[in-house]
Amino acid sequence: MRMSLTALMHKLPFGFELFEIDILAANDSQLKEISSTMGLNLSLEEMKVVQRYFASKMRHPTDVELQSIGQAWSEHCCYKSSKVFLREHIFNISHPDVLAKGDAGVMAFDSEYAYALRVESHNHPSAIEPYGGAATGIGGIVRDVLCMGAQPIALVDPLFFGPIDYQGEIPPGVKSPKYLIGGVVAGIRDYGNRIGIPTIAGGLFFDEGYVGNILVNVGCIGMVKKSDLVKNAVKGTGDVMILVGGRTGRDGIHGVTFASAVLSSASEEESRGAVQLGDPIMKEPLIHACLEVNSKGLIHGMKDLGGGGLSCVVGEMALSGGCGAEVELDRVPTKEPGLAPWEIWVSESQERMMLAAPQSNVARIMEIFDLWDVPATVIGKVIKDTVVKLNFGGQRVFEMDLEFLTKGPEYCRPSSVSPPPSLKEEMFPQVPRDLTDALLKLLADPNIASKEWVVRYYDHEVRGNLVIKPMQGKLGLRGPGDATVLKPLQDSWRGLAIAIGVNPWFTALDPYKGGMTSVDEACRNIAAVGGMPHSLTDCLNFGNPEKPERLGEFRSAVKGIGDVASALSLAIPSGNVSFYNEASIGACLPTATVLGVGLVPDVRKCVTTDLKEEGNPIYVIGETRQEMAGTAFFRIFGGKGGVVPGVVTSQLAQGISSLNECMERSLLRSCHDLSDGGAAVALAEMCIGGDIGVNANLEAMGKLAPAVKMFSESNSRWLVEVDRNREQEFLQRMKAPAARIGTVGGKMMVIEDSDVLVDVEVSALRKAWSEPLWKLLG
Amino acid sequence: MRQLKPNEIKVCVLRIEGTNCEEETAAAFASVGASPEKVHLKQLIHQCPKEMRRDLADYQMLALPGGFAAGDYVRAGAILAARMKSALSNELKAFVEKEKPIIGICNGFQVLVELGMLPGFDEAISREPQAALYTNDSARFECIPTLLKNENNGKCAFTRNLGKGKVVMFPSAHGEGKLMFSSEHERDYLNRLEKNDQVVFRFVGPDGSYAGYPWLPNGAISSIAGICNPAGNVMGLMPHPERVVNRITHPDWTRSGLDPSGEGDGRVIFQSAVDHVLRKG
Repeated sequence: MRMSLTALMHKLPFGFELFEIDILAANDSQLKEISSTMGLNLSLEEMKVVQRYFASKMRHPTDVELQSIGQAWSEHCCYKSSKVFLREHIFNISHPDVLAKGDAGVMAFDSEYAYALRVESHNHPSAIEPYGGAATGIGGIVRDVLCMGAQPIALVDPLFFGPIDYQGEIPPGVKSPKYLIGGVVAGIRDYGNRIGIPTIAGGLFFDEGYVGNILVNVGCIGMVKKSDLVKNAVKGTGDVMILVGGRTGRDGIHGVTFASAVLSSASEEESRGAVQLGDPIMKEPLIHACLEVNSKGLIHGMKDLGGGGLSCVVGEMALSGGCGAEVELDRVPTKEPGLAPWEIWVSESQERMMLAAPQSNVARIMEIFDLWDVPATVIGKVIKDTVVKLNFGGQRVFEMDLEFLTKGPEYCRPSSVSPPPSLKEEMFPQVPRDLTDALLKLLADPNIASKEWVVRYYDHEVRGNLVIKPMQGKLGLRGPGDATVLKPLQDSWRGLAIAIGVNPWFTALDPYKGGMTSVDEACRNIAAVGGMPHSLTDCLNFGNPEKPERLGEFRSAVKGIGDVASALSLAIPSGNVSFYNEASIGACLPTATVLGVGLVPDVRKCVTTDLKEEGNPIYVIGETRQEMAGTAFFRIFGGKGGVVPGVVTSQLAQGISSLNECMERSLLRSCHDLSDGGAAVALAEMCIGGDIGVNANLEAMGKLAPAVKMFSESNSRWLVEVDRNREQEFLQRMKAPAARIGTVGGKMMVIEDSDVLVDVEVSALRKAWSEPLWKLLG
Repeated sequence: MRQLKPNEIKVCVLRIEGTNCEEETAAAFASVGASPEKVHLKQLIHQCPKEMRRDLADYQMLALPGGFAAGDYVRAGAILAARMKSALSNELKAFVEKEKPIIGICNGFQVLVELGMLPGFDEAISREPQAALYTNDSARFECIPTLLKNENNGKCAFTRNLGKGKVVMFPSAHGEGKLMFSSEHERDYLNRLEKNDQVVFRFVGPDGSYAGYPWLPNGAISSIAGICNPAGNVMGLMPHPERVVNRITHPDWTRSGLDPSGEGDGRVIFQSAVDHVLRKG
């Protein structure tokens, strides 16, 4: 990668490429020119701060120094537009089980073990190069978990695309949804399967809002003995810094600055080099070797090289230990000769980790990496002053104060929120009285239809720990699941329930309720299998934060997430913000992805969604309200206005605790949360997995219109199949509203209210639900 | 000779970069009382410091776990097989000839075929591979529960505790699992497999009959999921018994009525091998 040059850059007379930039006397337009030609993506105000810093040092900066600031001060690295809101609504939530908030959050699992969790986005790289972008997204999130000392045990990938068969205009430089889906899924498949970490949950979401801005969110869960938990920091001046893993090349240069800007038609050409190249067969042994040196107590600290590469990891690791570092940049193993110092310093080449260890342990560390044929190189040492110094070719090419470099700017930009739709404006779509066809159409909508096409591509069984699978029911006839459950320890029945919550359509209409819904959905998925919601990690994908309405969406959604999390005492020990998901045809739907983790006291008590036995009663748990705005029913059939489903946190908490209690006592045979498509779709899915019918009558749900009872997406609701011999006990234990709406049996799904609403064979439901993605994606 | 105890049965669970099912494979052997050890190939060929070195002859069993050894970028199993063949041939040959059990699961099966140890009609390690595990007919990686029928009459050391005709559920997860022979040998090799009692498992549907896709996830010839060598001590199979050593990891335990605390379908494979070694003494 070559920088464009400006007249203000002077090559220094060494045998390698190093420039000095005349910043001290630069005027405003020259400062802007420096920022844009060097690809720094810094604003004029930010450039002026840089100018003042070097004025105080009475010297010009080198290109290495300016590039480093560009990385450190990018939105991606320093959260300059979001921090103020995160602090107000997320960071202030405290929880006694949080053990660490590092590159991944770490939560207590039992007395001896902890689990790590993180989710982040890899949107821009995946839009440019879907296969490599998605693969390296997995690589990055795995390193975030690994550098806590944790063994990665599961991957979770919610993906958002334009409609598969999109016929509308595709802006220049943007790839077709179908191509992007194929590439992203293949990238996750080939990387995840090769490193042997099961992909156990996720989602595929389709909307025109994602045509120009796909979202690739990747999450990872890990397990670590509490005694092996490692800091992302150096310990002190006795430490050396050991770079381990892949070689450094010109791939992945300016990844973070590119991720912190809006994509354009020229992005393909300009930013291809910003997409890294993944190598799972370097990552797989890297995981083994890093975990081994950690469990043997040979290292003091570990951190992954992600956004910003060495330029971020060295400074952050040193400063977290209250120190600085001196690095010999020419010791960094490179993929090819001739890399300029700035390229080595900011490259985001994959499969690299930094270790901090005492010099006396270096030989043993080298032995372990050597067995796995993974390169390991001492590249620098920790120094007392909080300064980073870089040497290259016998020259000092960089010397900066860490406080200045790492303390990026912070903004409280203006934000605005438009009023959400109301009940007064509600316009119901015209649908026939017989709702069978409407139900079949909903089941066949790609957002609801079976995701088996993608589920089978990912190895979700590797490591042999998954006890509740992504698809549930009779072999060969499986329906969807709510959460998946891992049994991470050999000799314990304790489990982790993993689920995603996100509803971009609600968030677009009412960002606050959308944020609340993300948490509600993750929690109700976890409760549906028998888990107690414990912690969350969020990936917040929004448009350009410099536009007040975009930032307003973000701000409200974050408040919604924070409010529900605090009310339910859920920890949020990690998270990620991705702004600038905004193409020429507009921003992506505001997408607040929540990855929830629940504790399962005994996995043998877990419940799946598939109906089990003829004669068992079915109840709807929770309150159904006329909340139709943003629902699948309104979206597909053209309803307008109405109210977006809200969350009454006391009702959510009550539903969860009652379900936990009923499952602990084995009163429930199946359970499914109510989400897209409401009660009717959930009931159909339970029939599909169980390969058995149901006779339902919705009169017990009260005075709502039939279509509202069927398709409202009110939060905090579940359908449960109760063991018919223990119905009374169930009614005593269930403290949330519970209405008996039907009985399991037969081959038909029949739903009545005052009239017959649905009358259809289960096999027809299965056909409608199972086939669409296979047909669309081939 | 003194009778061995199960925990004296040392199992070498071989790994290199990209092998990724070694944890659960080792755990499966441990679950039946054996003593597995995860061993890097470089430890067996002594390309490592002295205290890390191991010798294949010191083990009673060898397991080649699933994964993507060395990335499988050339052809599944090819790179690891080549590395083993060049540096470990004599030790492997001795191991096979002593009739010590060797199991290859998924990628491990691919390695055994590439090595010429399966089907191994004429010698312990044939000069050229006699079969191939080719890209699935669906051209997809398939992670799916599969049902397998034990077709072996008692030759195979890994299925002797499982009655002939019994159907078990082992999940499959592979992109290249279609067993094939070259067309000129196809009929002959199939006959020899049958005649030698080398067919171990076939894919079947829920009613126990040979079924099409996706119950047969890869299109393998004659629905074959696993085979053994003529002596019965070397077995390879595409599906993963080590993932269902316990009932709780079966996909349908919430509805099958079977005790979730109990054993899973896969355990019998590892138990049979341990019993075989104990019988042999």
